Amino acid sequence: MNKAIIPIMARLQALQTASQIGLGGARTVAQVSDRQPLAALLREVNETVLGRTLAFTSGAGPQLTLEVAGRRVLRLVAAEGVANAEACLNAHVLEDANKDDLIQILQAATPRGFDLRVISQPIGRDGDEVSVGLPVALLADLLLIDLDTLPGTDEPAEEEPSAPVEAEVAVSGAALQRFALQIGPSLMAWLIVGGEDDGTFAGPEEMVSHLGGFLDTEGEGLSGQLDRVSSTPGGTVSLVLGASLQDGHSTLCARHAGGLLLGLLEGDTARLLPRAWALALAKG
Amino acid sequence: MGVNETIGKVIAAFPQTRLVAFADLAASMILVSQGKDDFTQEALDRLVLQARASFDDPLFSLSVEAFGEPHSAVVMETDGIRVFLRSETEPADALCCICDHSIDLAAFLARIRETLDQISSGG
Repeated sequence: MNKAIIPIMARLQALQTASQIGLGGARTVAQVSDRQPLAALLREVNETVLGRTLAFTSGAGPQLTLEVAGRRVLRLVAAEGVANAEACLNAHVLEDANKDDLIQILQAATPRGFDLRVISQPIGRDGDEVSVGLPVALLADLLLIDLDTLPGTDEPAEEEPSAPVEAEVAVSGAALQRFALQIGPSLMAWLIVGGEDDGTFAGPEEMVSHLGGFLDTEGEGLSGQLDRVSSTPGGTVSLVLGASLQDGHSTLCARHAGGLLLGLLEGDTARLLPRAWALALAKG
Repeated sequence: MGVNETIGKVIAAFPQTRLVAFADLAASMILVSQGKDDFTQEALDRLVLQARASFDDPLFSLSVEAFGEPHSAVVMETDGIRVFLRSETEPADALCCICDHSIDLAAFLARIRETLDQISSGG
């Protein structure tokens, strides 16, 4: 294909709305197999000139509602299943100071390995605010996403030869801390030793101290146990042990990029774990 | 109802399940398995060893100290989730499952607990 045609084809494909239509008229804009659902989200914004409310739902659970006009994100109207969204939700109009927070929200809401659906509705007011908000081109630049690339070809295949490696590449150094924070208050006490989040902890001092003492004496043993339960020795893995994982307590141990997370869980953690893990592993 | 049929019903109820296997942990042996994907004998052997390793020290000791003996283990990696469930009455009996991240883990755990109890009791 002539390279000059690629941006035009990308635009045409992004405009092609006759993809899968789901419940409530939602369009699937990224499939489970797509490498970068976030790129699909940004392309939807990039193709929205008139004022629209775009409600995105990831198959992993997170939901974001954005007010969009003139290829700009004007407001974050709602965010479910995404941590630390308050600052953007409280902003009357998103501006430069919000861009880093918004990027983190967009990343957390579009984990790889899950489809992404959108429902578009009129914004319900004039488009006189198109000169404010955050330009999608700026967000794309900061995220190193080329909006003119054909959908589904966001990253060269040679960089990610197989699915497990692809997911591994997506993990940032702060994944363990994100995992802990995504689980929320059910994670009563936790501590990270090693890696980028070394020394991070939360919970009652006595419990954290006990976890620290255990890691001091059993850290190597824990890492060896994780090697034995995982597919890839030394790789990213999480092990949770519980009486039932639906009530009572459980212990959690996770490893990523040289860091080891140890924690104590309480309550119905089975409901939380897969999504927290998926969000933590989403590119940060 | 046979073990095969019982396991088949779990897979039918949870499409995100790639494999459900009934294992004898003491003998490190998968006795019955069913799944959407083909798994080699080596993969099944590895799975039962991973189940044994999950209920091993040092995390096992910490768990016993914290809340008592664990009977459920979840291993999450980048390419999926493995769930291991031990029988509370017959400690060698276990279900070993491989699932996608999108599975409703709470509902799945409840279902396989019921399934394992049924198999272990010979029901």
